[in-house]
Formats: sequence, structure tokens, C-alpha cells
Amino acid sequence: MKTLLIGEYREGKLLDSTYELLGFAGQMSAETSMLLVGSETQLPTYSGTLYLAEAATCGEYNPGLHKKLILEAVQKESPDLIVFLHSSYGWDLAPRVAAALKAAQISEVIAITDGGFEVGCCNAKMRRTVKPATAQAVLTIQAGAFPVLQSGGTPNIQKLTAAGDCTLEFVGYEPAEKKDIDLAKAEVIVSAGRGIGKKDNVPAIQALAKALGGELGASRPVVDAGWVEHSHQVGTTGQTVSPKLYVACGISGAIQHLAGMKKSDFIIAINKDKDAPIGEIADVLVVADVMQFVPALTAKVLR
Amino acid sequence: MKLLVCIKQVPDLESRFKPDAAGVWYNETDLAFRMNEYDEYAVEQAVQLREKLGEGTELTVLSIGPDRVVEAIKKSLAMGCDNAAHIQDQAASAKDPWQIASIIAAYAKDKAFDIIFTGMQSQDRGSAQVGVTIAEQLGFACTTTIVGFDYVDGTITAKRELEGGIKGVVKLKTPALVTCQLGLNVPRYPTLPNIMKAKKKEIVAIPVADLLTEESLTTTASFHPPAKKGGGIVLEGDVADLVEKVIAILKDKTTVLR
Amino acid sequence: MEATREIYWNIGHGVVVPMYLLAFAAFGVIVWGFWQRLPIWRQGKELERCDRYDERVKRMLSEVFSQAKIYRVTDGGIFHSIFFWSFLILFAGTMLVMIQADFFTPLLQINLLSGEFYKAFSLALDAAGIIALLMLAGFFIRRFIIQPKGLEIVKDDYIVLQLLFAILITGFLVEGARMAATELQQNPGLALFSPGGLLAGQLFTTLTAGTLLVTHKILWWLHFALVLGFFCAIPYTKLRHIITTSANAFFAPFEPKGFIATINLEDETIEQFGAALISDLSWKDLFDADACTSCKRCQDRCPAHTTDKPLSPMKIVKQIGELAEGNPEGSLIETVSQDALWACTTCRACQDICPANIEHVNKIIEMRRTLTLMEGAFPGDEVRTAVSNIEVNGNPFGLAYAARGDWAEGLQVSLMEQDSDVDILYFVGCYASFDRRNQAIARNFITICTAAGIKVGLLGKEEKCCGEPVRKLGNEYLYQMTAAENIELIKAYNVKKIVTTCPHCFNTLARDYKDLGLDIPVEHYSTYIQTLLNTNRLKLTPEPFKFTYHDSCYLGRYMDIIEQPRAILSQAGGSIVEMDKNGYDSFCCGAGGGRIIAEEKLGSKISEVRIKMATDTGAPLLISNCPFCLTMFEDGIKTGGAEEQLRVRDLAEIVAERIML
Repeated sequence: MKTLLIGEYREGKLLDSTYELLGFAGQMSAETSMLLVGSETQLPTYSGTLYLAEAATCGEYNPGLHKKLILEAVQKESPDLIVFLHSSYGWDLAPRVAAALKAAQISEVIAITDGGFEVGCCNAKMRRTVKPATAQAVLTIQAGAFPVLQSGGTPNIQKLTAAGDCTLEFVGYEPAEKKDIDLAKAEVIVSAGRGIGKKDNVPAIQALAKALGGELGASRPVVDAGWVEHSHQVGTTGQTVSPKLYVACGISGAIQHLAGMKKSDFIIAINKDKDAPIGEIADVLVVADVMQFVPALTAKVLR
Repeated sequence: MKLLVCIKQVPDLESRFKPDAAGVWYNETDLAFRMNEYDEYAVEQAVQLREKLGEGTELTVLSIGPDRVVEAIKKSLAMGCDNAAHIQDQAASAKDPWQIASIIAAYAKDKAFDIIFTGMQSQDRGSAQVGVTIAEQLGFACTTTIVGFDYVDGTITAKRELEGGIKGVVKLKTPALVTCQLGLNVPRYPTLPNIMKAKKKEIVAIPVADLLTEESLTTTASFHPPAKKGGGIVLEGDVADLVEKVIAILKDKTTVLR
Repeated sequence: MEATREIYWNIGHGVVVPMYLLAFAAFGVIVWGFWQRLPIWRQGKELERCDRYDERVKRMLSEVFSQAKIYRVTDGGIFHSIFFWSFLILFAGTMLVMIQADFFTPLLQINLLSGEFYKAFSLALDAAGIIALLMLAGFFIRRFIIQPKGLEIVKDDYIVLQLLFAILITGFLVEGARMAATELQQNPGLALFSPGGLLAGQLFTTLTAGTLLVTHKILWWLHFALVLGFFCAIPYTKLRHIITTSANAFFAPFEPKGFIATINLEDETIEQFGAALISDLSWKDLFDADACTSCKRCQDRCPAHTTDKPLSPMKIVKQIGELAEGNPEGSLIETVSQDALWACTTCRACQDICPANIEHVNKIIEMRRTLTLMEGAFPGDEVRTAVSNIEVNGNPFGLAYAARGDWAEGLQVSLMEQDSDVDILYFVGCYASFDRRNQAIARNFITICTAAGIKVGLLGKEEKCCGEPVRKLGNEYLYQMTAAENIELIKAYNVKKIVTTCPHCFNTLARDYKDLGLDIPVEHYSTYIQTLLNTNRLKLTPEPFKFTYHDSCYLGRYMDIIEQPRAILSQAGGSIVEMDKNGYDSFCCGAGGGRIIAEEKLGSKISEVRIKMATDTGAPLLISNCPFCLTMFEDGIKTGGAEEQLRVRDLAEIVAERIML
């Protein structure tokens, strides 16, 4: 089994997610080579073959050209799998490579199963096991699904060059907008409900959110009471969210709230009431006093 | 100018999914269907462009699937598409992205579309392949997951959404295909006069066999629910113990502490 | 000496011709004045409001003469009613004098106004005049001294009040002058029957006879001129309400309360849905503006206005009138503002209290129809989502429609698709089906029915939102789509009776669906449970408790169900402490008119205001019988910080706990 991994590079930097590709290859126990449109000054710590093209000349986003480079490496390596991250770079480029090779493509792989790959579907509610019907296949793997693997070493560099193919022109980057907050895109949300007791307790919830690298959310009563600004409200009258982790602090689970956050991948609820409706959809219900538990958890996370 | 927008009808994601008899896709019983969310952004953008360009521009909406997809087509027509192509396929769900893209490319091949709009992915299958693959098959310029769109004199300026809220600005010459992402626009709610008008717009039905020449490149072995996650663990007891347990769970089940 | 008086004393019968000519001229001015307004009203669309003529006349006479709608609000209303009756007596008296002087005397040579009848007549008229003056004083004090909040002072108020005052005063002065010359000394016994004139007469006792005659003549003509002025002022001042408000009692609708015209969606010639311009409203909607007396009762009771939202039902009526008169091409929506339109909870408090039979709610709904059907507008993104959820899953939460019947698991119910031979079909509604708190209503209702031996059928996952919130938000299209599916379904099952626990479903199924072809008896569980109790199918073991009761708008004001729930609760052992605003005067919870799916962004929270009223009673328990109300109150108790003082429960919960087995 041979894999060709397509590394990621943006704004002059190698992206850490590249190492997840190595984690995947590790799990496949595959012979590995890598392709990167990047820079010699930003090499991955990895000891295999690295097909390297200069982003300075080939562009960071130039899918037509990058496709050509990949096809060149594919020619040399004849890999069984060409693996991308399921990212704005990967999902844009992978189908172009697959189409050129007329190879099967399997998107957003989350696990390797017997003779196939596990992918999520129906908004992660369900799974499919998919197998390629072609000898060569293109994969994109879900970010965070495979462990980061930094095996160390220096790559054996093979330089690639290709002539420009200009179906599009990359103009540049626009920095992320500094807006209120966009909970819909947050990966972690820690939400405060009425159960936190009083406005003075909001900072404790915010502290946990910060410790977990997330945003503060809130239920409607808390927003209505003026404890938290409206832009933080989760629920049908606020924002509908689907973070990787949702921590509901003192939220009993009014239907409007549940409808807004139940798509979260993992839900931890902290509530005094064991029978609170939030318990029905929470993966973990911690029966405790919110204001005792949350600061203790924050302290532990920070340690 | 000729515009095409490709839409898919998908089950509402609040539905309960059960595997079908073959165990490779969902059973449609008890499912409520609606237009794929990303496709709504695509339709809205196409309609906005159609309105901006005015007379002489024709916007076609296309969907592949059984008769039920006509509902989604009608909604697009009510939103402002001019006409529609319904590619009739009872077994659309059994086709892989390569085949779906090939069908659309076969349809579009001789129609000289200038811009094709699609959603960035479908909410049920989620492969994010069809749009780009159509573009590759047709030799169109293409960019994906756009959250900004502008068209002037044969050039599209699109904003791609990248990770961490950064955007990449791209210019493409037509003919081109763009895949649309949440945040691009707010899809309009069809007005009643437009719903009435839409009833009279033409929906051309095309049997899928007329367009399908490709074999599937992948096979689905199974469709199943995820292995039971923690599924409602209730933790009680001393706060310090609870914290330990929760930390362990966070490490085990989520990526936030890695 | 005979008890009578000489009519036209000192004036002479020669005055008859010029007097009648002037009077006819004044009536001509009235007719002319209203005639000129006719084109303004005619800008509105046709609407049949002159059918069932006898009933309309009867209703108008009864409303006008009984003044019942006016004195229902004692503040101001009582003064008005008494003033009206007094003025009526004066008017009738004057008419009688005219008939006597110009018909009976010359043609029949009989004198009705003599003897004991004259004494009573004179006393009655003087008393009426004095009372009218007192009431007028009341008007003065209220409007210019007390100045109740929201009551505007306009030019008309000065003109009208001063004119009425002058008419009454000059009336007494004329009488006094005449009495000074002919009665005070000559027949002091008779003078006692004209106390007003007796008093006014004292002013003239020192005048010489000649001066007195001249003074009398001047006063008589002044009084007459003022009366003519009064008539002429009718079409051009607030006095127009004498005609228009009375006429509105004639034009008021006969349809059941809450009736909204069903749009024919098959009619392809319709290009404008709802009201964007005044020409899209009916002539009655435009006439309403002229019938409005600016009494601001609607505004005082409007839950949106009281909680500082930019809605005043009175202002909307006025704005429509101003557009109709001055800017017929002006945009209704822009004039009234979207915020005002979306703020309405359709609670009907305005319409219920309006003494002028103005139809506020449907005007708002017609304008909302333009917003939703013509512009695809929503009060907020949350409503857009909820509406799309109703389209896809038949409920505003967007929960899987297949789970709609899950709440009934383990209960004795029959799914209609399996067994439709049932006593009642329970139309559950979205909230009782999906919302955990409200599921208690559904479960307890089933418990009650089971105890009473009633076989209950459910539509389960086949049931869809009844369409009420979207209809009230103006989305007639979606309403008719969902309604059609429900109706087809219900018809197919040969249902005998439908019972709902939601007053909104109740109104929609019982009244709105009729227009779409569903004609099956529909009942709310409040009356249904009462019947079960009255027929002894259900018995309760009373357990004492103290409570206050919230009348849901759609049950009380819309359906006149006010006593029944109270009777049930009393039978359950409850002793009620009423809130100030109860029954027909109940204060909305904030959820009507589709507001249940919208966020309340403007002003203070209606639910909290209502919760405050409930806590003010001191009762620890608030009982409601509407899932919307329950939802709002559970919320309001939390956000209003009343958790320690008040709990809200549903009627079904109280009853189910006390079932005698």
C-alpha cells in the first residue's frame, strides 16, 4: 500500500494539520510520500520523500497548477491512495485530481475499516462505509479524525516545477472579520443558563469557555435578563450551532434552546436537576451545582 | 447569458434515519424532504445575478431524482429561476458523485452555460465533489465554498471561506462554476405572486438514461448509525471526582484537550 | 293659572319660516359635509356590510341608546353616557316643543305641554340640562386638568366642549329671561319646576321690561345660532362621531370573532395580496378612521403599547385615515412601520373594548399579508427559520414530524390510522406534541379522558401545525397549504368531534377551517371537561388551593369561554383571586399573532408584565389553559425573577391530580 499525502501550506506557513495526514498513513501502515506546495524554509519533520514545489512561484491557491504537480508526483510514485485533508484546500483540489485520474474519491474519511473507509453523512448523524472501485483512489480525511503524527527527521526533497495554468487568479487573503462572535463557526461553546444563578457568575462560565478555546453561549432567559449579550444566544431565537463540544451550564433545556444546539458533536450538561430535559440529548450529564463544578473544571483544564 | 444552478433535495436533518433494505442508504419512510441548504444559497446567488443582468439572461435550475424533487425545483422557480430540468432518476441515491457530476456535465455540455452554481456539498451525502467534478468534466474554471460573489463583464470575483474565518479572494473567467457556502447570502422567501408564476414555468423532464454513460467509481458497503457514543452518561457525586471524570471524557471523546 | 308656557314668546310665530329654513340649511351642511367624505371612503374595496338590515338597525339602536359599550369603561365613559342621555332628553324636548308649536297648536288646536305633563316635562328638561352641564364639567376636568396619559388635546376638543357649554348656558339664559318676564312673579309655583331657569332668571330680575325683552330676543337667537353651529360642526369636527360611530354599529361585522377573509389562491387575477395601499383595504377600514373618537381605550389595553413597543391600534386607525384623506398613494407599511405591525399579538383587546366597532386586528393582518406574501418579509430570522420548519416538518421547532406522536407512548389512545372509531379526535397541536413542559397538558388530558371512559383518537405523525401562527403573521399561503392537509386527513377519518387543548388550534379548526370546508364540532378541553363533570362521567375529589387564573385571549375574548374554566377549578377545590385584568379585559401573555415563534426584541416583556399582575394577587399559583400562555409564563417567571412567588400550571394538571377513582 502506497500513499501520497498532500500537505497544506498557507500564508507562508506549513499547516499543522499536515501531520494528521501522517497520522492517517500511520494507521494504514502505508508506505508514504508527500507533496507540498510550500517553501524549503517550512519543511515538515518527516523522513520520507517530499515532492516540493515553491508556493512563491506556484501560488498557494492555484488548483489547476497544483493538480498538475500532483499528477506529476502520482506518475512517479503510483500511489494507491492520494490523501488530502478535508479542508478548503483539500476539498477544492481532490476532485480535480480524482477526475483527472478517473479515480474513486471518498470524502471526509473519519476512520479506516475493513477494506473500506468510514465517512459521516446526514450531518454526522449516520455513517457510511465506502470502498473505492478503482485501483487508485483519492481520499480527503476529516480534520481532527486522525492523530497528529510527527515522526521526526528530514524529508528527502524532490523538486517539482510546472508551467502556469491560469483558469483563475488568486488575488489575496482577507483577514477574519472582527465581528461580535459567530457561534455557528465555534468549535467549542460553553453556554450559561438560568441555573448559574446570577449575572456575577457569567465570568466563571466565560473562563471555562476560554480555557477550552471556545466561545461563550447563553440561553434565552439569561440573555433576556441582560446577563449576556444577545449575540451569544443559542437557540431558535438566537443562533443555531453545531460545535465539536457544547457545554451547557445550568441550562434545563427549553425546546427553543435544544433545537439550536442539539447538532453539537458532543454535549456535556451540568445541572442540579437529574431530570432536566437537557439530559435527554446530553452525552454526559453532570449532576452538580454549576457554580461549584465549573470553576473546578476550569482550573483543571488550565493546569 | 445562460446560467445553471444545480440543486438536490435532501431529507430534513432532524429526521430519524434508518437504513434501507439493502443497508446502503437511508429508508425514505417518515423523512421530510427540503432543498439542500447550500443549494439554496446557490439559487439565491444565481437569481441575484439573473436580476442584475436582466433581459437576455436565462437561468435554468436542474435537479436529479425521483418525482419528489419537483417540489424543490418549484421552490427554485418561485425564487426566480426561469425554467427547469428534472432529470428523472428513481435510483439517484445509488449513484456516486462521479456519476451525478457526469450526468450534469452531459446535460450542460452543449448548452453553453456561462456560469454554473452549485452548493458546496449536499447535507445528506456530504461529499463536496459534484460541483468541482462537473467543472473538470466541462473544462470550466472553478472555485469552491464561496461566501462572496460578484460578476462583471465575464469575470467573477469570489471570496472563498478558509479555515479560521480567513477569506481567499479569487477571480475567474467564465465559463465557470462556483460552489456556494453558508454566509454567501440570505435566500429569499418566495412571494405569493412568484409562487403563482412558477406554476406556469416549464419543467423539462429528462430520463436519466439519456445522460448517464459512466459507471460508479465507489461502492457503499453499509449505511449505519455511529457506534454508540457515551449516550447519556449521568455522573453524580463529589465535585472533584466529577471534574476528573469529565476531563477523562473530554480527552477520550473530543479533541478539545489535545 | 294653567301650568304651561307660550312658545315663541317674545319671538313671534313669524320666526317659524326663517327658523326652519336655517335649520334645513344646517342639515344641508351636515349632508354636504359627509357627502364630501364619501369619495374618501369609496377608495376602499367593496365589502358587504348592509345585508341583514333589520338586525343591523336593531343592533345600532341598541348600542347607541343603551351606551353599553361606552360606559363599560367607567373612566370617561360614564360621563359620556349620562351626557348623551341628558342631551337626548333635551333634544327630544326641543323636538316636542317644535311639534307642539308648529303642528299641534296650529293644526289640531291641542296643547300637550300643559298641566302636570308640562311640569314633568319642564323639570325633566331642566334636570337634563343641569346634569349635562355637570357632565361637561367632568369632560373639562378630565381632558384639561387630569389629562389621562395618551389622551390627546386637539383643536376640536376646545371647539366642541365650548360649543356644548355655550348651548347649554344660553339655553338656561333664554329660559331664565323668559321666566323673569312671565313666570317668576306671575306663577312662582310653576317656576319651581324649572330650577335651571329659576336660577338663571335671577340675573334678569333687575332689568326693565323693555331691556329684558331685547335681552331675551338676543339670547334666543344666540342660542339658536349656537345650535345651528353645532349641527354644522358635526361633519367637520370630532362631533362627526355622532353619525359615524353610530353608523359603525350598523356596519359592524356579523362574522364570528376573529374571522379573517380567506384569500382565494386559485384566483390568478389577484396581483396584490394584503394591503399595501389604502385602496387595498375595505371601505369600512377607511370609514373606521372617521368613526374613531380617539378615546385611546384600544391603546390603553394594547399589550404591545403598554410594554413600550411602537404599536398603538388607535394610531394605526388614524394613520389609515390620514393616508386616505391626504396621500392615497402612500405606502401603508411605511406609514405604519413594520415594527408596529409585527408587534401585534392579535389579542383583540383593542377591538373588544372599542366603543366604535372599529376592526383593528384585520387591518394589521392585511398589512402583514403584504409583508409576507408580497415581500417575503419576516419579523426576524428566527421566524424565517420557524416558518421554513413548518413547511418541511409541520412544526415550528423543526423537529422530525415522525416524532409528533411520541409523547403519547404508554397512554390509552388510538392512532387514527389504525383505529378511527373514537369518541373524540384530540388535535394536539405543536406545543403539546413537542415541548416537554407542554406535553404534560396532553398527557394529563388523556388521563382525564381515560378516567371518564372516553376513547381518544390521535393523528400522531399525520397531524401538522394548524397554521394559526403563520396565518396571523400574514402567510395565508402556508396556512392554507397546511390546513388543507389537516382537513383532508380529518375528513377521511369520519370524525364526530374534535377536542383541542390549544385555544389557537381551537379557533383555527372551529372557525378558520370552516371557510376551507371542515364542518365538524370542535371544542376546547375547558368546556369538554366541564361537560364530563356536569354529566358525572368525571368526578373530582376537591383539594383546596388558592390560585389566580389567566384568560387566554383566544378562549375568552375570541370564544367567550370565561366562566367554564373557573367553574372547573372551583369544583377542584380552588379559590380564585382574580387579577385586575381578567375575563374580557384579560391581558395577553404575548404569544398570539404568531409572536410565539418570534423574539420579543422591543420594549419590555409582555409575559413579565402579566406575571407581575399574577404575583400581585398574592396567589402562589397561576393557572392557564393554553400551551402558548404556559410557555410564555414559564419563561416570564424565570426572566421576571418570580420563581419564589409563583408557579404556573395547566388546567389539565390540576384536574388530573384530583380525579376521583
